Amino acid sequence: MDTLFRLVSFHQQQQQQQPDPSLNSTTSRTSSSSRSSRQNYYHYSHQEDEECFNFYMDDEDLSSSSSKHYYQYQPHVSTNTTNTNTTTFSNTTDYSYSFSPTPPIPDFNFEFSPNWSHNLLLETARAVAENNRTRLHHLLWMLNELSSPYGDTDQKLVAYFLQALFSRVTDDGDRTYRTLASASEKTCSFESTRKTVLKFQEVSPWTTFGHVASNGAILEALEGNPKLHILDISNTYCTQWPTLLEALATRTDETPHLRLTTVVSGRPNNSVHRVMKEIGARMEKFARLMGVPFKFNVVHHAGDLSDLNFSELNIKHDEALAVNCVNALHSVSAAGNNRDTLISSLQALQPRIITVVEEEADLDVGIDGYEFVKGFEECFRWFRVYFEALDESFVKTSNERLMLERAAGRAVVDLVACSPAESVERRETAARWSARLHGGGLNAVAFSEEVCDDVRALLRRYKEGWSMAQCSDAGIFLSWKDTPVVWASAWRP
Amino acid sequence: MLRKMDEGEITHAFHQNLTASSAASNNNNPPHHVLKRKRNLPGNPDPEAEVIALSPKTLMATNRFLCETCGKGFQRDQNLQLHRRGHNLPWKLKQRTGKEAKKRVYVCPEKSCVHHDPSRALGDLTGIKKHFCRKHGEKKWKCEKCSKRYAVQSDWKAHSKTCGTREYKCDCGTIFSRRDSFITHRAFCDALAEETARVNAVSDMNTSLGGNIGYNVMGTSLGHNMATHFPSIFKPVSNTDETSNQTSRGLPLWMGQTSSQAQETMVNSNLREIHHQLGSATSSGTIYGGNSLVQCSNLPPSNNYQLSWVFGTKLSNTSQELTTSTTSLPLCNNNTSVPSLYSSQHQPHQTSSNMSATALLQKAAQIGATSSDPSWLGSLGLKCGNSQGQDGNNNKFSGMYGSSFVLSEADNSACDMSQMHPLKRRHILNEESGGGQTRDFLGVGVQNHLPTFINQRVDLI
Repeated sequence: MDTLFRLVSFHQQQQQQQPDPSLNSTTSRTSSSSRSSRQNYYHYSHQEDEECFNFYMDDEDLSSSSSKHYYQYQPHVSTNTTNTNTTTFSNTTDYSYSFSPTPPIPDFNFEFSPNWSHNLLLETARAVAENNRTRLHHLLWMLNELSSPYGDTDQKLVAYFLQALFSRVTDDGDRTYRTLASASEKTCSFESTRKTVLKFQEVSPWTTFGHVASNGAILEALEGNPKLHILDISNTYCTQWPTLLEALATRTDETPHLRLTTVVSGRPNNSVHRVMKEIGARMEKFARLMGVPFKFNVVHHAGDLSDLNFSELNIKHDEALAVNCVNALHSVSAAGNNRDTLISSLQALQPRIITVVEEEADLDVGIDGYEFVKGFEECFRWFRVYFEALDESFVKTSNERLMLERAAGRAVVDLVACSPAESVERRETAARWSARLHGGGLNAVAFSEEVCDDVRALLRRYKEGWSMAQCSDAGIFLSWKDTPVVWASAWRP
Repeated sequence: MLRKMDEGEITHAFHQNLTASSAASNNNNPPHHVLKRKRNLPGNPDPEAEVIALSPKTLMATNRFLCETCGKGFQRDQNLQLHRRGHNLPWKLKQRTGKEAKKRVYVCPEKSCVHHDPSRALGDLTGIKKHFCRKHGEKKWKCEKCSKRYAVQSDWKAHSKTCGTREYKCDCGTIFSRRDSFITHRAFCDALAEETARVNAVSDMNTSLGGNIGYNVMGTSLGHNMATHFPSIFKPVSNTDETSNQTSRGLPLWMGQTSSQAQETMVNSNLREIHHQLGSATSSGTIYGGNSLVQCSNLPPSNNYQLSWVFGTKLSNTSQELTTSTTSLPLCNNNTSVPSLYSSQHQPHQTSSNMSATALLQKAAQIGATSSDPSWLGSLGLKCGNSQGQDGNNNKFSGMYGSSFVLSEADNSACDMSQMHPLKRRHILNEESGGGQTRDFLGVGVQNHLPTFINQRVDLI
């Protein structure tokens, strides 16, 4: 299925700044004679041209339809051929195959450069920003050649970013996102969710880091209170709470009564409802097993969290309240002051503690121009780190990793192709969140030595590469090979 | 009369004759010395012993005996003297005086501690030191692997040896080396979804539910004996029909020897059976002098859960018979005046089944406390709060005895008792929890109080 493609001297192409010869409608490569001596394409058959345009190798992936889009899009491209020596290939079967097994000019053979995906994607982003359509097409085509959701990290990144860029270019971001989301919902069930989330937690401390830190802070802040209420706004499907329940049961002298209210935000979704219902049942049973008096509520909130009605959450004053936000804040729209509104609302609840866990990235991808390119680059950096971490944590053939990568792919579409006002993936850095939280009237609470020790012990239980670092603003970072990836902090009014 | 200790900075030591303070002890002195076969519960010292109170500083002091030559410190005077020989200093080893065979007990200097009271002193100097460190001291020793902290170095060492080596096995068969991933898995595991398997799971969890001490007393034997006891708890269809041939019900659920699937199917089918039988009993008339029967179908969901749990535990393996004893199943209709079920009409309880029944009830109480309706439990004299401090549990326990518990008739007691022991030996718990501890029916590791318990309870019959 994969087409073998070796692109040589991409740099030369760039430097020459010539408008690309158009992509003929059915051919799958372009060349111009001025460059053809350097460019060698190996292409095995014309009949397989169509397959080159299949971005999505998955049968079940419904978005494969968009590949047809791309394919049909081609004829509408204005063909401006370059001068003279351009040899355009028609879709006859008459091809001259020429390839050289070794790159003639090593330093121009960017494919072997370790950063090829970064360079190529950045170029494409620039082309998008400059609105350089022909070049853009060329680049998109090249990306398509090189992409594979089943290949190595670079190929995967290219695959998902290409999908996003393409939908952006065709103004189809929202529809693509919705299609991808509904495709994943079809296979979403309690079983699959549990499998994916738990496996991820088993092989990587990505989520458990935040859980351990938050649980530690919560336990310390709520120490001694007989009635506890935890308001949980997170996307980890309550996997944080079994260890907390166990700690409540074993470490405290008198097991307090715990009430847990989980807020699930986002598009109303039957499968999420079902999953949460099942999760609730399991949690209750588990709490009974642990001997912890426990009540569980799920609140499904459609839309932005900033307009969550906190008075409906039945917050009682005789209970000690803790608010737990894991990856919740970045799902609030960055537009306007929605985020600050949410933070103020949380502060107004006067909880004993607010634990915030967020991913450390500045993913505010701008709409146009330079802002877009800059944001895109950061986006790429972030997802590269994520994909690499996933790659090293899971086994090669892990289905769970594929699910997570697909979810990340959807996030990329959201960031690159959808409108910022509706984006739910716009993460901010710890510094910015800290500024917001301070602005909302909250003060940072440092994690105690014991909690830090627990976190370090947790990291020791995983593979090499993970470490903990203090954040200068507040809280702690989880670092993957010295790059901070997850930020955990605790705050109180 | 104050007797001065010559060992250093002991601020306060007093000699107190405990017999003066504890009323009953005068009569007990001879038996205590003679019947030495059982160990005193910690903190119930020999009344004749000399009570020593050391200051925290003294208690924590490790090397109080210092060599004047080189400054080396020693824990005991004897060691110092031997060391002094090396310096060619005059040394003298104190002989152990025969007269002072008097036993010494030590009180904890911490005022709020239980062991501060002389009547609850601990008998061993090392013991009181460790106790003081553990409960009132700073935890200076930390395990590297799991960052668990300890105040006493020997505790820390013991833990480090086993930390990470222990494997956790879930009912579904998966094995974990990490406790936290085991716990999270357990919470969402399908094995949890089955009521019967749930209790099994607890036995795999190495949780020392510190507060659930109430289970300690009952639970130790229960871990082994539930098979026999359960049947006695369950309400017979009618109290006249069945003979007193109490059969073993196979392994209790938490023996962990049956697969959860097998259990589930069995429970489900048996549950239906029970429901039928009880249902028919309803129509057939009253039980226990006219009180309303267990209306299984009317149970609110939470009680259903308890019902199925109790039934499920009984119906683990083999036999399908209902219990033959006349113990009533105390779960059910909240509107019943439950105490009257157990009122004067019934015989004094039988020990063995009493234990299990009480244990079950207490468990049910705890479950019930998390669900809707504690009223009927309260009417049984059970405390439905979840505070499980030691004293609370003792009260609970006595409360259960107090509310004349319906149990099997006297003629059942004998056979139950006799059956208890063989069954106890047969059903050896098979699971991985730590160190060969017996478990209570929650599967929580507890001290093995079984012999004492049995001995005590015999008196009640």
